[in-house]
Amino acid sequence: MSETRIVKTLCRMCDDRCGIDVHLDGDKITRIEGNRDHVWNRGRLCIKGSHGLEMFTSPQRLKHPLKRTEQGFVEIPLEQALDEIAEKIKGIQAKYGARAVGVWKGEAVGFAQQEELARRWIHAIGSPNYFSNDSACFASRWMGGGLVLGPQGFQADVDNAKCLIYWGQNPPNSHPNVTQQINRARERGARLIVIDVRFTQIARQADLFVQVRPGTDGALALGIIRELIQNDWLDHDFIERYTLGFERLKEYAQQFTYDYVAKETGCDAAALIPQIAREIRDSMPRTGIVVGNGFEHHENGVNSIRAVTCIDGLIGSVDQKGGKYLPVGLDIRYLPLYDQKPLKELEPLGADKFPVLYDFRHECHTMTLMDTILSGEPYPIKAIVMTAANPAITNPNSDKVRKALSSLELFVVRDLFLSETAQLADYVLPAASYLERSELVTHGLFHTVTLTNRVLPPPPEVQDEYQFFHDLAHRLGAGEYFPWENEDALNAWLLEDTGLTLEELKKAPSGYQYARPRYQKYREREADGEPPFKTPSGKVEFVSDYLAGYGYPDLPVYIPPKTNQPDPDYPFALVTGARKLPFCHARGHNLPALSQALRSPEIEIHEADAQKLGVKEGDQVRVTSRIGSIVIPVHVAVADEIMPGVVQITHGWKEANVNRLTLDDTFDFLSGFPVMKSVPVRVEKEG
Amino acid sequence: MKMVTVTPEKCVGCHDCEMACAFAQSGDSCDRRWSNIHVSVSTPDRFVMPVTCFHCARAWCMEVCPARAISRNEETGAVVIDPLRCAGCKMCILACPYGNIRFDAQKLVSRKCDLCGGDPECVKHCISGALNYEEIDKLAERKQNMFGYKLVRMGNGGEETSHE
Repeated sequence: MSETRIVKTLCRMCDDRCGIDVHLDGDKITRIEGNRDHVWNRGRLCIKGSHGLEMFTSPQRLKHPLKRTEQGFVEIPLEQALDEIAEKIKGIQAKYGARAVGVWKGEAVGFAQQEELARRWIHAIGSPNYFSNDSACFASRWMGGGLVLGPQGFQADVDNAKCLIYWGQNPPNSHPNVTQQINRARERGARLIVIDVRFTQIARQADLFVQVRPGTDGALALGIIRELIQNDWLDHDFIERYTLGFERLKEYAQQFTYDYVAKETGCDAAALIPQIAREIRDSMPRTGIVVGNGFEHHENGVNSIRAVTCIDGLIGSVDQKGGKYLPVGLDIRYLPLYDQKPLKELEPLGADKFPVLYDFRHECHTMTLMDTILSGEPYPIKAIVMTAANPAITNPNSDKVRKALSSLELFVVRDLFLSETAQLADYVLPAASYLERSELVTHGLFHTVTLTNRVLPPPPEVQDEYQFFHDLAHRLGAGEYFPWENEDALNAWLLEDTGLTLEELKKAPSGYQYARPRYQKYREREADGEPPFKTPSGKVEFVSDYLAGYGYPDLPVYIPPKTNQPDPDYPFALVTGARKLPFCHARGHNLPALSQALRSPEIEIHEADAQKLGVKEGDQVRVTSRIGSIVIPVHVAVADEIMPGVVQITHGWKEANVNRLTLDDTFDFLSGFPVMKSVPVRVEKEG
Repeated sequence: MKMVTVTPEKCVGCHDCEMACAFAQSGDSCDRRWSNIHVSVSTPDRFVMPVTCFHCARAWCMEVCPARAISRNEETGAVVIDPLRCAGCKMCILACPYGNIRFDAQKLVSRKCDLCGGDPECVKHCISGALNYEEIDKLAERKQNMFGYKLVRMGNGGEETSHE
């Protein structure tokens, strides 16, 4: 009889990093449950989380490096794979220049450390070309919020809010355990407003649900701003002392009348705007506004996010208890080399077209990458090293993505499974899962840092990211940047400025609280003679001179989405990019038990539209955009689950990959984000 | 005795409980058809309600079962079906007023919630907090608190709620 035990660590089946109890019998994991002591999820776990076990024990897990040959993939020893990859990188860099190699991080393996390691590695070998999934998700929110508040973390202080506004986000599917946090606040009397294109799950408990057409959130935000200003429901002291551009914003917002907002959004603005504004008045400054991914995939997403963030400034909820909180950070050391080796002169790909994206996130542009690989313009990119991303499913215009990645001279993918993208690679290396590594993870809102537990050591040829980048860097003459013996030594170094030690963190497997919540920190900074906010002006910026400097509008202007003037050939607005609970993007679909939770992709279509098309539940339709076409079964949405004229398809299904329809040539002009939530499409009955 | 309590005002109809129950019951599938807990959702009526066995003090399913396949687990208080005794007559399904017993068409026996032996998966997977495994008085206490907050809010026109 072997010994049973529980090891506490964090989940990484999505990015919420819930606390988990991993039950072991000897060295065999028997089940995974929520950790009751963890502040984020309090013992509860979604179905993905408990099926971390199914992921971990899957016979499909990669255990050995694979090399593409004329006979298909063959297993080769790890050392040989690393030697060959390093030789090829050297050859490509000698022939085409250092910048002809890029690195791309995804999210399917470890926590966040891989991002900084990938950034460090690519600069260490002389190329500025770092790519990631963030240039199609998250970075726009960081930019939109950051342009107004300064580049730093900001989160709604859910627990202490008197009114929560979830705008373009459906936590039950995208951040499951936030749902219980919202409900705890509601239990204490907080009101809940949900604004979305769809009547989502969180909308089911909303005190007020507002439905808008895709990409029109900016108009509604400016309508709310106009209402707050007209009624004088403002924090004048905050506006006068800590904001920039109030008069300009006030003047600009005047045109967002009820009639105009109603025309743009399709909602009953005359009734709803005053209701939303009154809820804000009654709760301010404890009004927690959450901006979701729903804003990001439009041509004007960043400005819509800026407009919503301006509301925080007008009501003085910035860094207030229950408002838009700016968490106290932990001084973990920074791995990337942007100070030592910025390499800006090597023209990071896309930084010319989307300078704000590069300034704010140091992200190169993945959509531009595909064109560059195929055209060699503005300079050749011949090798990509990718960790745990699956752009063949998740990036827009998947057909082009597959063509581009297949035409690289060297394509290396590290992953847990032979994903659709890994199948295109020259070398596939097995990566350590989140249960086989130790990383430092922070939960900003709760000011906790956790050292994740290496529950089991990875199999002999399976590496964590540190070991992988270390081994390649040493082969490429950049070993000086990777001096640490292993992940644990790296973690110790990362902690050195914090005053914490690994030993202390090991004693707190449910999270070590490094700080207490502190509100209105801008007042502290002001008292210390520092700028109150990290914006160029030091104030909350309703207008941005920085953007004006690039020739962009300085105000958070609203530009109607193209789908508001439907093209007769493509009359529907297709929305995608919202998750389903059992899956995280392309992940989880290969796990037999979990995948039974939702067995088929589907297109959500309003009952009136379904009737017009002559289709019922389960019928097949063909969906066509100007770049591609897929066939998919229908789910008929009832009542206001979706608006007529709008259809939704969840991404991640290889059987009906919606990203064969999404556009990779139409972008948010500030962030370069692809348009994935207002794609003009045609829907026809199939067969 | 603990039971699975339901706070419908918190349920968002994510169906996570059903997926977890289905896996606990089947061992190899999260297909919600295997679940013994069921969440009813109607968007037009703005209605969402999880329903699972109440393990009634006087259980009609148990009284009506001609095979005496239904008994009460002394430790957990759960009303459980012994599939080896169940004759598949479906009387229990007819007797349950709440639809909490289903028929397993493969094994040809009735199936229902057994509280997972005192550690219910539905509750551990309930990400909204609508499901809890607790003494019934705990639910009453929480409901009173929630009602209190509602009254406070109505009483002062929403200006201030005791929030600390």
